[in-house]
Amino acid sequence: MPGSKKPENEVDAAKKKFSRRHFLATGGAVVAVDALISSTTAKAAPATVSYPTSKGYLVYDSKKCAGCTTCMLSCSLTHYGVQNLSLSRIQIMQDSFGKFPDDVVMAPCRQCVTPPCVINCPVEAAFIDTENGNIRRINEEKCIGCKTCLSMCPQQPHRTVWNHVTGKSSKCDLCLDTPYWSEEGGVNGKQACVESCPMKAIKLVQALPGQKETEGYDVNLRNDYWYNLGLVENSTHVPPRYAMSQRKPKTSKPKPKPKAKE
Amino acid sequence: MKGGYTGKILRVNLTDKSISTIPTEKYEAFGGGHGIGSAVFFDLVGDQLPFEAFDPRNLIIMMASPFSGTFMPGSGRCEVQSLSPGLYPEEWFGHSNFGGRFTAQLKFAGWDGVVVEGAAENPVWINIVDDKVTIEDANGVWGMDTWDAQQEISRRVIPSLKYGEWAELANSCYTTQIPAVVCCGQAGENKTRIGALLHGPGSQAALCGFGGVFGSKNLKAISAIGSGSVPIADPKALMDARLWFRQFQWDVDNPHEGQRFAQRGYALISGAPSGGNVSNGSVPLVPARAAACASCPRGCRMRLASADSNESVCAGSMFARIGGGGFFGGGGGDSSMPDALRGKMTRQANDLMQKYGLGHWQLMATRGYIDFLIREGIIGEGKEIDPDLPASGTYAYYEALFRKISLREGAFGEFAAEAAARMAEKLGRYEQDVNSGSLRLSYWGTQEHYSSQVEVEWGFGSLLGERDLMLHMMANYPLHWMAQSGDPYLTAEEASDLYRQAMVPYEDDRYLVDYGEGPTGVYSDSKVKQVAWVKHYEKFWVGAGGFCGWRWPMCITNNTVDRRGPTPNAEPKFWNAITGNNKTFADYMEIGHKIYTLDRSIWVLQGRHRDLEVFPDYIYDQPSRGGGEMPMVIDGKWVYDPGQGRALDRDKVEDFKTRFYKFEGYNPENGYPTRATLEGMGMKKVADVLEKNGKLG
Repeated sequence: MPGSKKPENEVDAAKKKFSRRHFLATGGAVVAVDALISSTTAKAAPATVSYPTSKGYLVYDSKKCAGCTTCMLSCSLTHYGVQNLSLSRIQIMQDSFGKFPDDVVMAPCRQCVTPPCVINCPVEAAFIDTENGNIRRINEEKCIGCKTCLSMCPQQPHRTVWNHVTGKSSKCDLCLDTPYWSEEGGVNGKQACVESCPMKAIKLVQALPGQKETEGYDVNLRNDYWYNLGLVENSTHVPPRYAMSQRKPKTSKPKPKPKAKE
Repeated sequence: MKGGYTGKILRVNLTDKSISTIPTEKYEAFGGGHGIGSAVFFDLVGDQLPFEAFDPRNLIIMMASPFSGTFMPGSGRCEVQSLSPGLYPEEWFGHSNFGGRFTAQLKFAGWDGVVVEGAAENPVWINIVDDKVTIEDANGVWGMDTWDAQQEISRRVIPSLKYGEWAELANSCYTTQIPAVVCCGQAGENKTRIGALLHGPGSQAALCGFGGVFGSKNLKAISAIGSGSVPIADPKALMDARLWFRQFQWDVDNPHEGQRFAQRGYALISGAPSGGNVSNGSVPLVPARAAACASCPRGCRMRLASADSNESVCAGSMFARIGGGGFFGGGGGDSSMPDALRGKMTRQANDLMQKYGLGHWQLMATRGYIDFLIREGIIGEGKEIDPDLPASGTYAYYEALFRKISLREGAFGEFAAEAAARMAEKLGRYEQDVNSGSLRLSYWGTQEHYSSQVEVEWGFGSLLGERDLMLHMMANYPLHWMAQSGDPYLTAEEASDLYRQAMVPYEDDRYLVDYGEGPTGVYSDSKVKQVAWVKHYEKFWVGAGGFCGWRWPMCITNNTVDRRGPTPNAEPKFWNAITGNNKTFADYMEIGHKIYTLDRSIWVLQGRHRDLEVFPDYIYDQPSRGGGEMPMVIDGKWVYDPGQGRALDRDKVEDFKTRFYKFEGYNPENGYPTRATLEGMGMKKVADVLEKNGKLG
């Protein structure tokens, strides 16, 4: 398995220390909670262990997403060679009858600063891949299928994904291990979801996003070309094309833009 | 490894409540979707034809394709096939399709399609959760509008479902998706001939009246949700194909010539997101997102902050026009109404149509004919049939109209629920009103869409089919609307040459899209080839492949420097990667020819003859009202021209038909497929049935 390796010592130490503890998190801030009183939220424990932060993160624009699920199908295709929404490590949910913007929820892995999936895995199948930009990963060969990482992920829906075919857990590896894709993935490579999204609503960034709720991850990736389609965020917004049409200016001359073709 | 298919088709008999499977492999030679649907229909009931659409023997077939559930751009529509209560004069074996997520979920559940036969004693719905299929009691759902019914059924399928969370389907199989439900509304329950099938708030199978077939079977809905996989023969090639295809998409961040193609006139045809919903186009804009069907890179729909007209496009968002206008006929009402209010009322009136489950395209002709009959004093106050409707162009008008038709309320409701063609027949006015053009039902009871005299591939393609062609992307959007924009990005000569190159296997013919009246124009052998190409493309790529008629074919595009579209390279590139086949575009088009021939055989068993394949008189006797401009050779030069004033010549149309029948392998005397043609396509059984019925060509 490319990039697969044992977690480094400090993670081992952390796991020994916290292996019997459950973690809840809100907006990426992890709070230790004793398993025996897991229904009661305790105050944040002093951080005694730090984890190397990931050098890559998927940010997204849930107002730009059209819900086509191409990203999900790209994910399952490149990782497993099939197209299957349930196996996708990025989940897009939509309610056709819902109101914008709540009609779509985008749910990629946050590559948590303090990753509950890694900390709580009883067999160290979930690990921080220090040789590959500290991506939080799951070694499916080591996974025993206990689903602890599913229940420990503080996000809704949980970003660790159950593979019902293998009976193992999985999670986003930023396309580090994509046997069915000819591109290189990882923090310096390409991601199938990013590349295939027709709305360019997913992007890889290197800087740690803000950790409050989803603010740092669910960002604005739109520009005036988007707004000019009439797709505004609030009703007081008058995109340039609509403002222009109200003034009835002359049509600008077309300027061909060179575009790469295969 | 073979990919694309799940390997089994679900067969549900509502009369005896039996559930069984049909192996897909038996029908793979027909591709998928429409091809398999036609073959299954013929095998199961072909030798019993003719019988009526509301006969329990009729089948309603909902087919996915090898593309469904994959990210093939612009695919995944559900092909619905059945005898059609909405078509005329016979209830032809017809087809209609709808977008959304239904076929994707059907495939993930492990099914390539659903075949429903018989009729339930009491209202039911079919519940598909992976490989578990049950027939459920529709108590409490029957009588609901299409929106409420879908949401209620979703709750019944997964009681623990919480939007935005994982739900366990069975045996540790999880999904975050909401069940995909297709249903009829009250218009279908009451067996109107305008009843549509609805999926989501705005995806309609609008033509043919299939909602009424659901109603006749006491079938309210089919729900599908799955956690399985669509197998892919060559995953790497498929991923490469998908990324290769990006060059043909509208670049949302920096579109090719973005300023130019954002202008009005290009909204529908540029491939830009959200252009299909035309009811939210004036300031103040309602906040919205572009919404896509499964796997579509365009996202022509919208979902609004107000949640009205969600996922409705074109006529589905604009048929019921409040407060003036009348883009799709009608109009009236308070024209001083502010734009924002007019837009909102219009969206909500159209939503009402969707909730009743009325098919917008047939409703349009019906509503127009009602107006005509009132104007002529044939129906109205004091007459046997009195619509008694509020003022036209108001919300109250549409509410009353939709309710009366859907519930068959009173004499008017019973009358209008039969749809325009049979309304005219009941009044003894069909010949008079259709031939005069007062009621423009140009082909098989469906309304004239674009000028049959000018955009002839649409007219001929419909006449030689069973309903309105509805294939916008052949020439209508790319050519008609490009030229009408006033800023065409290709000259007529350039456009015709690019079309020629895309239209394999007829690429050597320079005049395939000559819409002039000269020797290479609308009656020529070049046009025979173009119409054949359209029918074969319609049957294989659109029908068997589940393509969207608003996306495919793409012979040209504004999104590339050289204006070349992905047709004919993309189609086999994706199909072969998914299925593992190694066929050419031309090979697949020949399967389209085979499917068209099978459909034609079924129509022949229902009574089709070349003598029936004639336009109403007005197409021959009255000048075209014009419209967009099409490429034509006039005085030896390619130009764009509207063909204004043109009427078709009867003798030349008949001569065209004779050559078309011969070209396709049918007997020109009657239009029946010949034994040689059928056996050459591996359909000896079809030839035998035709012969037994005295209808072999």
